[in-house]
Amino acid sequence: MSQAIIDLQKVGKTFYRGKEPIVVLEGLSLQVQEGAFEALMGPSGSGKSTLLNLIAGLDRPSSGQAVIAGSNLTDMSDGALAKFRARHIGFIFQAYNLIPVLTALENVELPLLLQRLSGAERRKRAQTALRVVGLEERMHHRPNQLSGGQEQRVAIARSIVNDPTILICDEPTGDLDRKAADEIINLLEKLNKEFKKTILMVTHDPQVAERATVIRKLDKGQLQ
Amino acid sequence: MKLLLIAFRNLLRNKLRTSLTVLGAAVAILAFVALRTVLSAWSAAADYAAQDRIATRHKVSFVISMPKHYIESLRAVPGIKQATYMNWFGGKNPKNPNEFFATMAVDTDSFFEVMDEIVISPEHKQRWREDKKGAVIGDVLAKQLGLKVGDRFTLQGSIYPGDWEFNIVGIYTATRKSIDRSSFWFHWSYLNDSLPESRRDQIGWITSRIEDSHRSAEISAAIDRVFDDKDVQTVTMSERAMQLGFMGMLSAMLKALDVISVIILLIMMMLVGNTIAMGVRERTREYGVLRALGFEPGHVRMFVIGEALALGLVAGLVGLALSIPIVELGMGRWLEENMGAWFPYFRIDTKTYVLALGFSVLLALTASIVPAVRAGRLSVAHALRRVA
Repeated sequence: MSQAIIDLQKVGKTFYRGKEPIVVLEGLSLQVQEGAFEALMGPSGSGKSTLLNLIAGLDRPSSGQAVIAGSNLTDMSDGALAKFRARHIGFIFQAYNLIPVLTALENVELPLLLQRLSGAERRKRAQTALRVVGLEERMHHRPNQLSGGQEQRVAIARSIVNDPTILICDEPTGDLDRKAADEIINLLEKLNKEFKKTILMVTHDPQVAERATVIRKLDKGQLQ
Repeated sequence: MKLLLIAFRNLLRNKLRTSLTVLGAAVAILAFVALRTVLSAWSAAADYAAQDRIATRHKVSFVISMPKHYIESLRAVPGIKQATYMNWFGGKNPKNPNEFFATMAVDTDSFFEVMDEIVISPEHKQRWREDKKGAVIGDVLAKQLGLKVGDRFTLQGSIYPGDWEFNIVGIYTATRKSIDRSSFWFHWSYLNDSLPESRRDQIGWITSRIEDSHRSAEISAAIDRVFDDKDVQTVTMSERAMQLGFMGMLSAMLKALDVISVIILLIMMMLVGNTIAMGVRERTREYGVLRALGFEPGHVRMFVIGEALALGLVAGLVGLALSIPIVELGMGRWLEENMGAWFPYFRIDTKTYVLALGFSVLLALTASIVPAVRAGRLSVAHALRRVA
């Protein structure tokens, strides 16, 4: 049995609207093994995005402990969290979130700006990532010149370009038609199987969730 | 390098807004350059004043005259090479009394020895010496009044009332920028001989050329000592100090122009700041994405500041590009030709170019500080959720 790359112990998250506390997650524990491909489902407002944010180091838990890829995120500073994300996390968003003024290649190069690499090395790595997602021939196109599925593939290339430990996917097929959604999920499967990436994916689509090896359901801040 | 590229490209997202901001800021820079050039042109006479010339006037004010015989005592002071004297006449063109140009009664024999940057043909100089009613005028004034050698011209006196008739016998130009090429010079003796006995033999000030410009202060003090025990005491200063004294009368207006030029820059700063703040609001989610990818708050601040710097630089360059045809070639030429007495040399100087571009970039930087700090403080999760 491989060790848990995501290890949450009795994690809680409370937001405040004025002085009124809103408990989103309470005493949640979760272990995800390295190399897993897990889907997280649940109704809107169940805390899926909050949970992803905690795992990805975008937010800190109000209580409990979050150890991700061997790093305890609970008390990390903002700067340390940023470095943790740059090293360990690849993000894939529902709305792709590419920078519209940059080409596909430049978008993929973005995370590499944080590393001490030459321009040529950055381009080489970005081209490799685009080749993995099958978009090398579109590298000089801007996002508005690509289809939704192509944009999401560029986003996937951006998420893997710095070889992260975990891929966090927030409804990666939510804005796509069935054919494009299948292509994206095939690609995620390939990244999991061939490149051994640990994938945690939030989805509302049962057909997409079925492709994961584990499906977890979240409701009212609790894993079912 | 890549961050700067993104900053430049961000500027082109909303082309209309960026163009209007650049244009607005460029117009502000243009106005700044125009005002600064007015100020520098005004002080050109002082800036380009001869180093080896000093001026002696009545100790109280240059509007009070001195006895003419002072010139002889002054010429005897060691270190003086040549000296000449003149009176401010205050004449007007009767056809257009509001039109200003300097009118002075000068000593034709010594004038050109001291004012050696005046360029006039020997023939015109000779004709002037021979004609007591002869007047020499600058080429700018000649053009302005439509006069040529051989014409007759009448001045209406204000300090010395009456109509004064002159023959235009010469036209001068100058080799030094500080020389007003719209002055009207005539024989001091013509003025003196026409005055009643009680007002005769009085001179306005004396301009002297000295042997060593480094001894200017020492020689000035020596001159004033000569007249210390006389009824009329003098004060002697460098030509530059004298010019600055003239300008001092206009100091309130110059100060006002100075303040206005600063206000214009503040308006530009607000314009740029507003555009940057709007851009930051629109790109909140993108900043969230960058933070999610591992960029730190400092990087996000750099994006915002880089965009503002790019905007300031472009606006500054456009403003300067507009200034050359509008301020220097258009406004400058017109002022030199029509208001040469005030602006003998109206050109944008290098210091103004540097100041305008420097302020443009610096103020854009200042305007971006608040939006940059706010962008850096964004919570990543909140920024990603906000527009999602």
